[in-house]
Amino acid sequence: MKREFQLASRRKFFSQTAGAMAILGAIALQRGQAAEKAATNPFAYDVSHLQKTDPKLITYEETARWKAPHAEAKRIAIGPEDTLYLCSGNYLTARNRSGDRGLEIALAEPSRCCAVEKDGTIYLGLRDHIEVFDAKGQRKATWDSPGKKSWITGMATTENEVYAADAGNRVILRYDKSGKLVRRIGEKDKERNIPGFIIPSPFFDVEVSRDGLLRVNNPGRHRMELYTADGDFEGSWGSASMGIKGFCGCCNPINLALLPDGRFVTCEKGLPRVKVYRTDGQFESVVAGVESFVANGKACGPSDCTAGGLDAAVDAQGRIYILDLVTGDVRVMKHRA
Amino acid sequence: MNEQPKSDRPTTRRTFLRNGARIAAMTGLGALAGVVANRSTAEGWVWQIDPQKCLRCGNCATKCVLEQSAVKCVHAFAMCGYCNLCTGYFEPEPNALTTAAENQLCPTGAIQRSFIEDPYYEYKIDEQLCIGCAKCVEGCSRFGNGSLFLQIRHDRCVHCNECAIARTCPGDAFRRVPASQPYLLKTTHAH
Repeated sequence: MKREFQLASRRKFFSQTAGAMAILGAIALQRGQAAEKAATNPFAYDVSHLQKTDPKLITYEETARWKAPHAEAKRIAIGPEDTLYLCSGNYLTARNRSGDRGLEIALAEPSRCCAVEKDGTIYLGLRDHIEVFDAKGQRKATWDSPGKKSWITGMATTENEVYAADAGNRVILRYDKSGKLVRRIGEKDKERNIPGFIIPSPFFDVEVSRDGLLRVNNPGRHRMELYTADGDFEGSWGSASMGIKGFCGCCNPINLALLPDGRFVTCEKGLPRVKVYRTDGQFESVVAGVESFVANGKACGPSDCTAGGLDAAVDAQGRIYILDLVTGDVRVMKHRA
Repeated sequence: MNEQPKSDRPTTRRTFLRNGARIAAMTGLGALAGVVANRSTAEGWVWQIDPQKCLRCGNCATKCVLEQSAVKCVHAFAMCGYCNLCTGYFEPEPNALTTAAENQLCPTGAIQRSFIEDPYYEYKIDEQLCIGCAKCVEGCSRFGNGSLFLQIRHDRCVHCNECAIARTCPGDAFRRVPASQPYLLKTTHAH
C-alpha cells in the first residue's frame, strides 16, 4: 500500500522538535559528563609494567590445580609421603600425592598454620596457642598460649624442636616436643645485634634448613633473616623494591618455603608473586608472576591488606604448591625441563 | 445529572501559547522556590570527600574552581605503618630509599619524610605544596594501609553551591556533611 506524504500540523511539528531536542540534549550532557569523568589522569600512579612478568624469568609451569576444601584458606604444609596439609576455615585437611582427600580435623576455631612430622604428628597453630594431633587426627595435647597478643602464623619442626612464628609478639618461639617454651628468638636486642622483627600485617613465617639455621621473613624490613636455634642473628638478605628482584609494598615477603637444596621460595602480596632465590639471596627466577593471581592482586587494598596473600610449600621432588588465599586455589608448579 | 458535552473546538494557537507561558512561569516559580528553600536548609552544610569512595582519579587537582585546589592530602598518623618503603612517598621503583627528588612520587614534593627510629619514618603533608592529585593516596592505598587520603580543607573551600569537582567525581565520593562535622576522617586500622 502506498503511503501518502502528509504535512504535520504546526503544533505537532513543534512538540516533536522540542522532544527530539530534549532527548539529544540529555544524551549530549550525559556523554559530556561521562567523558569528563573518564578523562585521563595526568597524575596516575602507574605500575602496569610491574604487573607483567618477563616470560624469560618464569621457570615453572602449572601441572595441576584444585580448590581448597573450605573457605578462608590460610596456610599449606607438606607432611610425610608428600601429603599436603591445608589449613582452611575451622579445618585441617590432608590431601595425598594423587590429590585424594584424606584426614580432616574439625576445630573449634580457625586453623592458622601447621607443621607435620615424619611420623604424621601434626602441630597445629591456632590464633594464640598450639595443639598437637597424632597421624589419625586424635588430639594429643593443647599447649599453653604464649601471651595475650599471640597470633601464630607460621610453624616448623625439627627432630627435637617445634618453632612457631608469633606475629602478634614479633618473636619466634622455640618449644621442645613436650610443649615447653625453651627460647624466644629474634626479639630486638642491641647487645646481641638483633634488629627485631617488623610485622605490619599478620604474615610471619619460619622454616628450618638442613644446615640447622632458621630462615625467618622480616616483612617490615623487606628481607629474610637467618638465626641459630639459640637465637643468634647470623645474617640477612633482601631489598625493598617493586621490581622483580626485590620485595614490594609495605611488608614483604609474607611467607616462605625451602627447596630441597636450600634455595628459598618467597611469597608476596600487593604484587602477588612467588619467586625463587639462591641460598645466598640472589634472585634466581619466578615461579608464578602477578598476572597469575589477578583476583589476589585486587584483594589487597586499604580496607584490608590482610585479605590478599599467597603461601607456598615444597615437596621432596621439588614441586612447589602455591595457595592463593583469595581464591582458595592450590596450584602445583613443576620446574620446566 | 446532566453531563456537559466536551467541546470539540480545536485549541487555538493563542490558547496554546498562553497555556505554555503559564506552565513555564509556574515551573520557573517552582524552581526558584526550590532553590531558595534548598539554600535555606543547606546553610550549615559543606562538601566533603568520603575517603572510602574516593577513586584517586586526579580530578581534585584539576577541577576545583580555585587556582590551587581546596582538596589536600591528609594523613591518619594513627593508621600509618611509618614504613621505610612508603609507597605513598616513593616512586614504584626508586633508585634508593632516600629523599632525593627523583625517588619521590609527589609531583610537588609535598611530603616530608623524617627519621623516627630504625626502621620507622614519619610522613607529613605540606599543605602549601599539596595540590590534591592523590598520587600518594593511590600508592598508599594500593600497597600500604591507606593512611593517606583526600579531604576538602574548609579554610580554603569557597563552598560552591555545585562543587565543580563533585560534578565530575567518578566515584561519587563528594557529599554534603554538617558544617559542625566537616571532615570524614579515617580513624580505624584494618588489622
